[in-house]
Amino acid sequence: MSRQITILVVDDEPAIRRLLHNSLARAHYRIIEAGSARETMTALQIDKPELVLLDLGLPDRDGLELVPVLKGAGASVIVVSARDATDQKVAALDLGADDYVSKPFDTEEVLARIRTALRHKLANETDTPRLMRGDVEIDLIARQVRKAGTDVHLTPKEYAFLAELAKCAGRVVTHAALLRSVWGPGHDGDVEYLRVAARGIRRKLENDPSRPTLIRNEPGVGYRLIGNS
Amino acid sequence: MNDLSPDFPAMAGTDRRPISGAGALPGHAVSLALTALVTLLGKVLFERGNIANVGLLYLLPVMVAATRYGLRTGVVTSLVSSLAYNFFFIPPTHTLTIEDPQNIITVLVLLGVAIAGSQLASRLRDQALLAQASSTQNSLLANFARQLTGISALDELAEVLCTETARLLDCDTVLLLPSGTDLVVRASSPPGCRLDMLDVTAARWALDHAEPAGRGSDVLTECEWLFRPLGTGGKVLAIFGMARSDARPPVTPDQMPLLISLLDQAGLALERITLEQDMAALEHVRERDRLRHALLSSVSHDLRTPLTTVLGTLGDMRALSVEQEQQLATARNEAERLHRFVDNLLDMVRIEAGALHQGIEPVDLSEAVASAIHDLRGILDGRTVDIAIPPDLPLVMVDPQLFHHCLINLIENAAKYGGSAAAITIAADSDVTGARLSIMDEGPGIPAGEEVRIFETFARIEGSDRKGGTGLGLAIVKGFAEAMGIMVSAVNRPEGTGACFTLNVPASRLRELSAQ
Repeated sequence: MSRQITILVVDDEPAIRRLLHNSLARAHYRIIEAGSARETMTALQIDKPELVLLDLGLPDRDGLELVPVLKGAGASVIVVSARDATDQKVAALDLGADDYVSKPFDTEEVLARIRTALRHKLANETDTPRLMRGDVEIDLIARQVRKAGTDVHLTPKEYAFLAELAKCAGRVVTHAALLRSVWGPGHDGDVEYLRVAARGIRRKLENDPSRPTLIRNEPGVGYRLIGNS
Repeated sequence: MNDLSPDFPAMAGTDRRPISGAGALPGHAVSLALTALVTLLGKVLFERGNIANVGLLYLLPVMVAATRYGLRTGVVTSLVSSLAYNFFFIPPTHTLTIEDPQNIITVLVLLGVAIAGSQLASRLRDQALLAQASSTQNSLLANFARQLTGISALDELAEVLCTETARLLDCDTVLLLPSGTDLVVRASSPPGCRLDMLDVTAARWALDHAEPAGRGSDVLTECEWLFRPLGTGGKVLAIFGMARSDARPPVTPDQMPLLISLLDQAGLALERITLEQDMAALEHVRERDRLRHALLSSVSHDLRTPLTTVLGTLGDMRALSVEQEQQLATARNEAERLHRFVDNLLDMVRIEAGALHQGIEPVDLSEAVASAIHDLRGILDGRTVDIAIPPDLPLVMVDPQLFHHCLINLIENAAKYGGSAAAITIAADSDVTGARLSIMDEGPGIPAGEEVRIFETFARIEGSDRKGGTGLGLAIVKGFAEAMGIMVSAVNRPEGTGACFTLNVPASRLRELSAQ
């Protein structure tokens, strides 16, 4: 790594900031801390972090309001939220957040999410036109999917669904985002389309559709193409 | 139209001058005395000089008698005056014969004045009586209303209504309030009133039909009591009963307007008090909800934050010796247990507060199970999980997050009670009645008769309380599932050993897959 990557940890709890600080510093990131929205804004201007780990419960402002500001400043955003705050996660993702982790978090998981987010930030989508997941190959340029070297026929919607996840490989994509990009506007509530497409993809690509290794469902939030790591 | 005087026997305290028939005797005496006085005066004047129209003097006693004491006294006085005039003044004096026909006119005029005067006076008196009666009634009502205004408790209102009405109408009274399906005596005058079957039937009829029942009404007239509904706008809030110890109807027709007004006032007061109580109860519930919510978010934050730190720190720590490895494992397990317990407690509070926010969406059972197994990978490590879910199962309309927690708790439960390495089987099927998702373990199963109790809060199967459970997991499953219209049941597996927990999704919550 030629230049040290700066991560801003935003949480009003010093203990959590310290914990994340230690874990992330061990992974050779430069860490800045902020305990409030005001401190976040200051740090954003001075330190220009590449990525922000954002806890939404801040004392001076709703953390959700910060998401577009941080994204606008060019930082990736990973939201840290309570387990049962599904609505909050979805809202943050729809506002542009890259991913989320639930409290209590596993620091390994946090590091994996950070790596994924940074990879997407540093690379163009076209840099990874082909993905391998087990024996499944997704070719985004040829618009083809192969399993164990054999072409698999997906319906156009199934392919578009899979391609959308592949472009964000490892990151969660919300129901609303998937529906908009695959089915177009006006289908925001049609989650069953997604269920049907996911079922079709699994039937055609998974060895055991009841134990998916390709696409994971995040209950109430969206879908994720399972990462390599 | 003549006798409008409301006969309120209990109103003795009010100032009432003897102006009607009751004053006949003193009236006659006064009139006769006046007549005698006039006669005497006339006699004196007559003897001093020859005054022709002495007869006019008699108008005075006749007018006084007619206007003040009524027609009868007026006529009697006019007759007596005529006789006296005839006897003392009309020649031949000291006889009762009339020679001059002109004097007959005088007698007739006196009679006419008596009749006209008494008619006029009696009309005036009637109006005065009417005004007095209505002012008495108004002041009674105003007084009653004033008493009711200050009352804020139901018992006090019942007491005042019973005693005041009993005093005003001179009868026994009772107030009955509906309580559940029964009518309960809330107050009575005299206190300690007991009603027999017939009375209660009449009271119930009055409640059900919002019309009077019992003696003096149209129905159930053999009942001793007269029951009238109390309330406003067609809604009966209470039943008011009246009875007399003598067999007379408890309320005379002329008392009815007063009674109806009294009961209307009481109905308004009762409605006000009922509303106030409802508001207070609502406020109480709101206050409790606010406290619960405050507690929930405070506990949620204050317990979870340190737990997150502890779990994260323990997860980061690397052991330097075998001994430390074991210590770390113990610390991690216990911290995770504590974390699960806190989560369960919070879920339970949310269920009991009815605060389950639901976002219903179509969920694929197969996907949902896969997600739950992924989240439980730490606990299920190395354990066999057989999944038998048909690929063409309809989607279920549930809250994905709540459903996810149901599955997590059921699978965790199967892992906990099923034996350390035993397999877990997850199966699903559907038909026209709905879809079923079953989680089966190979543990000792459920003791006979415990199939329902097992879902109660803090219930734990006997002899298994060392497994580190909280006794909340299954109660949460039940609470979450029922909030989504899903029935949860527990049975022992028909084949082999072990328990089988089933989520029964009704057909109304299924969504067959349609073409895109």
